Amino acid sequence: MTMKLETRHKIAKFFQYFVLIVVGFVMIYPLLWMVGATFKSNAEIFTGIGFIPKNPTLEGYAAAVTQNYGGDINIWRAFLNTYSYVLPKVIFTVISSVIAAYGFSRFKFKGRDILFSIMISTLFLPQVVLNVPQYLMYNTFGWINSPFYLPLWVPTLFATETYFVYQLVQFMRSIPHDLDEAASIDGCGPVKILYKIICPMLSPSLVACGLFQFMWSCNDFMGPLLYVTTPTKYPMSIFVKLSMDGDAGFNWNRILALSLISIIPQLVVFFCAQDAFIDGIAAGSVKG
Amino acid sequence: MKKALALMLAGALSAGLLAGCGSTGAASGNTATGENSSAAAGSGDLTMSWWGGDSRHEAYQNALAAFTEKTGMTVSTHYGAWSGWEDQTSAALYSGNAEDVMQVNWNWLSQYSGDGSKFVDLNEYADIIDLSQFPESTLEACTVAGKLQAIPVSMTGRIFYWNMNTFKEAGLENYPTTLDELYAAGEAFKTNLGDEYYPLAMGEYDRMILMTFYLESTYGKPWVEDNTLQYTVEEIATGIDFIQSLEDNHVIPSIQTMNAAGIDANNSIDKSEQWINGMYAGIFEWDSAPVKYRDALADASGFIVGDEIKFGDKANGGFSKVSMGLAITETCQNKEAAAELINFLLNGEGAAILGSECGIPNSAAGLAAASAVDGAVEALVEEANSKVMAFVDFQLDPVYESTDLKANPGGVYADVFGGYSYGEYTDSTKAAQDLYDGVSDALAELGA
Repeated sequence: MTMKLETRHKIAKFFQYFVLIVVGFVMIYPLLWMVGATFKSNAEIFTGIGFIPKNPTLEGYAAAVTQNYGGDINIWRAFLNTYSYVLPKVIFTVISSVIAAYGFSRFKFKGRDILFSIMISTLFLPQVVLNVPQYLMYNTFGWINSPFYLPLWVPTLFATETYFVYQLVQFMRSIPHDLDEAASIDGCGPVKILYKIICPMLSPSLVACGLFQFMWSCNDFMGPLLYVTTPTKYPMSIFVKLSMDGDAGFNWNRILALSLISIIPQLVVFFCAQDAFIDGIAAGSVKG
Repeated sequence: MKKALALMLAGALSAGLLAGCGSTGAASGNTATGENSSAAAGSGDLTMSWWGGDSRHEAYQNALAAFTEKTGMTVSTHYGAWSGWEDQTSAALYSGNAEDVMQVNWNWLSQYSGDGSKFVDLNEYADIIDLSQFPESTLEACTVAGKLQAIPVSMTGRIFYWNMNTFKEAGLENYPTTLDELYAAGEAFKTNLGDEYYPLAMGEYDRMILMTFYLESTYGKPWVEDNTLQYTVEEIATGIDFIQSLEDNHVIPSIQTMNAAGIDANNSIDKSEQWINGMYAGIFEWDSAPVKYRDALADASGFIVGDEIKFGDKANGGFSKVSMGLAITETCQNKEAAAELINFLLNGEGAAILGSECGIPNSAAGLAAASAVDGAVEALVEEANSKVMAFVDFQLDPVYESTDLKANPGGVYADVFGGYSYGEYTDSTKAAQDLYDGVSDALAELGA
């Protein structure tokens, strides 16, 4: 009746992994299916749940890559448009959020606590509430349909992404003040302390901020919809939608192929930054 | 204490923001005309916006290129998919950023320009736009606040479409043309093909429209006239019973069955497996819509336009409506040129290029020009359109499609018909009462 301890461990391990693999497969199946479906013909997509196409075809990809609206916009142009405002947006968000967070976490000034509560309270304001007043404000500036996407990235210069400021403040609190003091004894001013001492220690969370902002900005639909009205300037999120509302039939394989192509850069960026990103989240969970 | 303070601050802040929005709105409204239309103007002499699918974008672009060739005026364009389009357009209209020429939904005229402030009175440009090409009644329908705010592009109404392949499998040679045949088809589908097969599939809004067809035919009066609902709660209840009888006789699947099949507000019937593989063999749709349903089918060989069904004996019942129009915004700088563009697109050579992309042209000259070009007018659409126009005898009221009623989820129609199908009402009178109240509220709101 007695089993060797080692055997019991092995059996337990087997069941653990069995459950993990089964659940993991169920979770990832829709994604696999989507990849498979991009190679199917439209009719085949609905005939079965299997993800291996019976008659693989590249017509979905061909249609996605060549789709073009009167020379106004195609997939490559849409990519270019997207990153032309997403990259500044990410960079400026990170820089401005670090500066704002530095102020809140390291300096005692009059009204700091009140200002901090005000800032936190904006965290709970949904974007929908802001749409109308923001639209009117940018309208007075004459920024609607600006060729440089001004309304989409300029606000990030002013640390408007409260969530990141809050996150960075929490991280900075975990960095011992002794380091600042040591640096200032060695002759560092406040600015130098920020970029010589604090930023290197914050780097995992900076990457996390950058990644989140990157993903959110790439997926943003409402912003470009309101502020970009020239088809040649449409970003990816609008472009994907543009091809989804076809009146004349719904080409599922084209749309799936288009969606897949459109998330590839995001996936690449995510995997490249994965290690730092996970560090960032974990650091927050323990020390925050 | 701190929490309370933060909460108060949050409250004060959001109140401030809202108030701020109001005052900026007024301020920028005053200045909008002058400085902002230049932002929207882009590089062309005129700007134009529309929504639609791939083929409509292409048709408009070709037509605009022809316009540029003819007049030397360039038109910069703004187009997109329908989703989100109204959000964008309403913001642009209110802030004075709207394009010079706009493709507008018919109910926008009363919804956004009920006081006539947003769109130009096109009667003033009657020397440029040949209004005599349009039927009196459709121009009348586009006249809001005493101004002809848009030129009707096309008229549309609802009709049945059938997938005859499935009907043949069920042992039926002909599509239903009477209510009894409809019931019989439901029975035949159930016994010969199985429980998952239905001769017709209808969402909440489709049900509302079919019920209106039924009521108008049975009682012989329009749904709404002079901004007043013409039906009593009891009369509406008979209409709801009628819809329920279709469900009970296996003519249409319940909303629950359709939701389970993945069909809901975001996923129309044509995207479902049930439609693509022919298990749902009929739809009740706009005459302009059949192409996307046909092209979605795995085997489209049996897809045809049916006939309207006359349910009662007082009238044919049913309504047509202006599906869309072209309007000139008040912020337009060069209104004569814009009027010229509209005339070109609807009465002139542009109509031949557009064909039936925006529906069957309402303009007589436009239809003649489009019909002269081989393949410009989709035969299926034309057949459906002529059947609808020959049958229906009422016009749609502008409130019928207002967001409060039509929205799904959350609109009155969706609540009543979805709720009734799900069995949330004990009897049809209660559902009819909810519908009556909802429609009356919406009408009162417009009248106020």
